[in-house]
Amino acid sequence: MRADVFRLIAGITLALWLVLPLVPLAIWSFAHGWRFPDILPRDWSLKAWAYAFSPTSGVVGSLGLTLFIAAATTVLAALVGVPAGRALGLHAFRGKAIVTLVLLAPAIVPGIAVALGLHGVFLRLGLTGTVSGVILAHLIPVIPYMTLIMASVFSSFDTTYEDQARSLGARPHQVFIHVTLPAILPGLMIGALFAFLVSWSQYLLTLSIGGGRVQTLPLTLFTFASSGRNDVTGAIAMIYILPGLLVLLLTARHLTGRNAALTPRVAP
Amino acid sequence: MLRSLAAFLLLSTAAVADTADGEALKGLTWDQVVEQARGGTVNWFMWGGADNINQYVSDHIGGILKRDHGITLNRIGVADAVEVVNIVLSEKEAGVTDAGTVDLIWINGENFRSMKQADLAFCGYTDLLPNNLLVNWDNPAISNDFGVPVDGCEVPWNTVQFAFAHDSAVLPEPPRSMADLLDWIKANPGQFTYPAPPDFTGSVFVRHVFYHAAGGADALLGPFDQARFDDAAAKTWAILNEIEPFLWREGQTYPNTIVQMNELFANGEVAFTFNYDPAQFGLAVQAGIYPESTRSFGLTDGTIGNTNYTLIPFNSPNKAAAMVVQNLLLSGEAQLEKAKPEVWGASPAIEISRTAADVQAGFAAIEGHASVVSAEELAKAALPELQADWLTAIEAGWKANVGN
Repeated sequence: MRADVFRLIAGITLALWLVLPLVPLAIWSFAHGWRFPDILPRDWSLKAWAYAFSPTSGVVGSLGLTLFIAAATTVLAALVGVPAGRALGLHAFRGKAIVTLVLLAPAIVPGIAVALGLHGVFLRLGLTGTVSGVILAHLIPVIPYMTLIMASVFSSFDTTYEDQARSLGARPHQVFIHVTLPAILPGLMIGALFAFLVSWSQYLLTLSIGGGRVQTLPLTLFTFASSGRNDVTGAIAMIYILPGLLVLLLTARHLTGRNAALTPRVAP
Repeated sequence: MLRSLAAFLLLSTAAVADTADGEALKGLTWDQVVEQARGGTVNWFMWGGADNINQYVSDHIGGILKRDHGITLNRIGVADAVEVVNIVLSEKEAGVTDAGTVDLIWINGENFRSMKQADLAFCGYTDLLPNNLLVNWDNPAISNDFGVPVDGCEVPWNTVQFAFAHDSAVLPEPPRSMADLLDWIKANPGQFTYPAPPDFTGSVFVRHVFYHAAGGADALLGPFDQARFDDAAAKTWAILNEIEPFLWREGQTYPNTIVQMNELFANGEVAFTFNYDPAQFGLAVQAGIYPESTRSFGLTDGTIGNTNYTLIPFNSPNKAAAMVVQNLLLSGEAQLEKAKPEVWGASPAIEISRTAADVQAGFAAIEGHASVVSAEELAKAALPELQADWLTAIEAGWKANVGN
């Protein structure tokens, strides 16, 4: 089999595997009842969508809030993750293994344990029930991903390009914007994508730290999913997957970027 | 959208401890409470899985509060009230005594017992509410919440009574007593099941079998009694184990939640579902989930009823506004609105005979949903709920003897 045919088939299979589970959700969102053994619903209705977009359901507000929290978490995670990843990726220093372990810890420790412990601390700090508290909480599972991805990016980063720019008179911020950033951008995009999606899909941390007052979309979705309202669940789920898809599409072309500074270093 | 974001961010800094001092409120007249409540915000945490109920609360009740009292009602949907109990509990443990997150909870049963035992409820103020006069506190089913005395710690909102639903197009004549139902299950293998306790609804089904095995509820009322429990429990487990091979999937597995069982019923896999709140059947038919031919019924030997309530946590910073909400919920007009089948179909928690003439006429004019057995019909054979200790023992016993 020729390689490009194989790739096409693999691509289509992957796309179907990702999209097929969503088809029943999409159908449910327009169904007025859908009972076995009907292949398709007998009656169709826009009621679920009307409810999802009504002020009562709060879905539109939740969507904006969830977007804001995920975006803020991503930016903050990048601010921590890029310098940390650079240090881990480029430098060998005493205690590096321990630092890596500490960074990984939130990804290893079960989320429920983190959430329970964190709740008590945040409560005393007056951070529960606030958006800022929820963003801080989201940073805990997000920062390990961001840092580790950036560490792997920087481990194949050639710092002599920065040296060259500096020797040509570039100031530190110019070096960063014109040399470092373009080189690490694909990796940063992947890190940001992970950060965004990890924050976007948080349920437990948002519920415990937000105390129900920070009503993100996963919370609204779960309320309906757990009460058997498949039509409303379907409509909210369709809205819920949109930003993830958009972010993926927008960043996809950056993910395969190549850059001269990102070549494995060769010993001189 | 930006404005709501800004509002959320502001919440993090704004100090809103205006009417947290419940004892001071108790010394006021109702008019003074209403005045204090003006401009307040009430964070009402409630089960949010029904769009009709959400719309009634947010649009109807929220609209009146805004218009008449300048109160903002912030309905917060949760999947289970126990989440809210945990919020208040951890706030108490952390010493948050006057700036809690929760101003009002829709609650009953074990969650109420937890809150009362841990002193998490604001109590002793209900006489202040003018519409409290509409409540018949002499009715033990109102003044006790699953056997726990209410003691002015919560305000009734709805009354419900357990009922079964069936598809009349498939099964025109369902069994009407527990004995007949048990025979029917054995004669129709694979068509019946119940959610495994401690699911709220599965647990109440098992209690019906328990009452049947005990020969009625009378011997089981009052505090937990081990000897009486053992006697009835042995018979109950025998009955449930006897029908087990005739259940859905030969009883090898049980639905985990009532939601799963509702889905089995909707798809015709089982012949019955049941619910503590028969209004849910009507809502499910309106949402297209159940067939139009769905009908519901009680048992001739009676079905268990209960009351659900709203409760103000001890650390709510908006107690005055929350009291105004409770008073509005109790009003004849608000109870009438939610009794309409297209709105919710919930049975009132007040005495209709004590309401104004036009409200009484409104109640008389309500035509119930065809799928919902009327509250009057069910009330002909009503059984009381047991105290919480019995419930825990039955749930544990089921797990050890039947669901093993």
